[in-house]
Amino acid sequence: MSDKQLTDWRQHAQNLESEINKVVVGQQTPIRLITTAIFSRGHVLLEGDVGVGKTTLLRAFTRCIGGGYQRIEGTIDLMPNDLVYHTYLGEDGKPHVSPGPLLMSGENLSVFFFNEINRARPQVHSLLLRVMAERTLSAFNKEYHFPHMLVFADRNQVEKEETFEIPSAARDRFMMEIPIVVPDDNAIMESLVFDTKFHNVDALVNTIPADILQFDQLNEFSALVQNKIEASSTLRQYALNLWRATKTPSAYGVKVSGVDMNRLVLAGASPRGMSMMLRAARVNAWLNNRDSVLPEDIHAVFHSTVAHRIVFSPVYEMRRTEIARELLTGIVNAIAAP
Amino acid sequence: MKCVMNKLIKSSNIYLFTFVFAFILSKSFVVFANDEPSPDIPEGIVKISKINPDRNVGYLMGDILKRTIALDVKKPYKLIETSLPIVGYEHRYQGQVSGIELCKISHTKKENDDKTSYVIHLSYQIFTTAPVVKPAILPAEVIKFQGPASAEAKDGLVQYKIPEFYFRISPMAVFGAVKIEDDMSPLRQPILLQAYPEKEKLVASLILLGLSLVGLLYILGSRAWLPFMGRPFAQAGRHLRGLSATNTDDLKTALTCLHKAINSTAKYSVFSDNVSDFLTHSPSFKVIENELGQFFELSHKVFFDTQDTSAHDKNSLVWLKRFCKQCRDCERGLKPANLKKI
Repeated sequence: MSDKQLTDWRQHAQNLESEINKVVVGQQTPIRLITTAIFSRGHVLLEGDVGVGKTTLLRAFTRCIGGGYQRIEGTIDLMPNDLVYHTYLGEDGKPHVSPGPLLMSGENLSVFFFNEINRARPQVHSLLLRVMAERTLSAFNKEYHFPHMLVFADRNQVEKEETFEIPSAARDRFMMEIPIVVPDDNAIMESLVFDTKFHNVDALVNTIPADILQFDQLNEFSALVQNKIEASSTLRQYALNLWRATKTPSAYGVKVSGVDMNRLVLAGASPRGMSMMLRAARVNAWLNNRDSVLPEDIHAVFHSTVAHRIVFSPVYEMRRTEIARELLTGIVNAIAAP
Repeated sequence: MKCVMNKLIKSSNIYLFTFVFAFILSKSFVVFANDEPSPDIPEGIVKISKINPDRNVGYLMGDILKRTIALDVKKPYKLIETSLPIVGYEHRYQGQVSGIELCKISHTKKENDDKTSYVIHLSYQIFTTAPVVKPAILPAEVIKFQGPASAEAKDGLVQYKIPEFYFRISPMAVFGAVKIEDDMSPLRQPILLQAYPEKEKLVASLILLGLSLVGLLYILGSRAWLPFMGRPFAQAGRHLRGLSATNTDDLKTALTCLHKAINSTAKYSVFSDNVSDFLTHSPSFKVIENELGQFFELSHKVFFDTQDTSAHDKNSLVWLKRFCKQCRDCERGLKPANLKKI
């Protein structure tokens, strides 16, 4: 039965990818990674320039997953209570309280979409820490549970004014940080500019069939995938070596141009991060119709699950994206399996 | 004042001269006392045994004669080691040098309860010759012992004479056959020394130097005698040769070995997802692209697939050995032979 489930859900996943690839063109890799995150039950942070399609991509996925969907825009004056409740004066002239975006859909909340997360204050990030890690929230003397919730967030790296750096503890809650870049392909670029279907984003997203996945079955199925897809002792050793290399890259002969390797890394990947990496790798193996994880499955998710977790010396933080890419490529090149 | 100073200087000079004179006198007295003949050692104190040269005729100039003298000396008599003859000492006979020189001497001493045993090794070299056979003598060496004071030897010094050894020195040429006086041309170059030992040493040194250079080249060439020998797949091939197809662990060893060879060639870890980069940078391997794919497939089955054990058969190792040979050919820029699928 479980084998059939695995096959059926793989069909659903492929269907999901195919539908999203129709509306968000030239983003096959991010789409595969977000699909992986959904089946690994991990939160996703998209990073990229302005207007590259981050929000459209997340909205498209949200439509396919089904369930309750809430969205909030990150602003400098956003406070944690804005996520929990609204207060207003009703028609009767009395104050009223209504549930905020987090509580609105109750336990059916499947996607909480946080747009421009880096514009929100650290207090808001702090609230998110708990919601993302535990999927619970205490409000009005009651504890609310969001068992199916995934947080999709995006931020642009270009603007630095009126923004707050997301602390490493909050970054670590995200399973993946996925860079979105404009495709290089001329035909795609031309299509994005001249094809009228891309002019109206709402209409575009609405062309995707809704509820391709059953949001309330994803947790159970994710556990099934994690149990069914195995990791051999050689692969475990390989993953451990990768982990060690994120802590002391110089010990493995990894070099990054223009960087003092002995001062670069303040903290390597966390145990939670490596656990998330293996979860994602298992899902990648399943999506590729395999029963066991290969090093190539780890490679497919290594950058997106590890890069945002490594803490660099402050002097190198400004070049984080570039350095992290070179560092992780160096680690993959340096570690052999077997 | 000046007068007093002169007196002082004069008196101090006198003391100094007196001291130096007394010192020289005492030293010369000691030397004189040592060279002075001493009474013979009482009979029965020394027991001698000699090993003389095995023949006493047929010696030529330059020959070395060796004697070994063993002396058992009863206690409390002790050999005065400074009385032993010294190297370079040449005996004189009736004021004439004998032409026989002591060229080496050594001795050992062994203490027993009632006696002391001395073994003296003497080597004499002949520096004389004659037109006819000439009698010669290894001289009787006189050595001294310190014993108890007696009526004859108040200071206890006694001497013992090691018996001489008689032999004959042969001429270097037949008498009258060579008359050197008739052949004294000033144009004749001096007789040269034979250079054979030096030549041999030179040849041996050159051979050693040559071997060292070859060894150095071997080390510098990554421990390979030929330019292609030390390359990764050549090394892997040598390693794979010793592996057995029946041993399941050997399959893993072979795969690991080949992975290392591929990584060494690429200078980074090659996986199935970046094998195309490897082929771009090492285009000589492009002809075995399919085989590389099969290799990674096999590696995945052996190392990462926990359920499928179909790859663990002896054919896999045989295939790997052939694959390694293909890679070695590619490494050498040769066209590899086709390989059947596993």
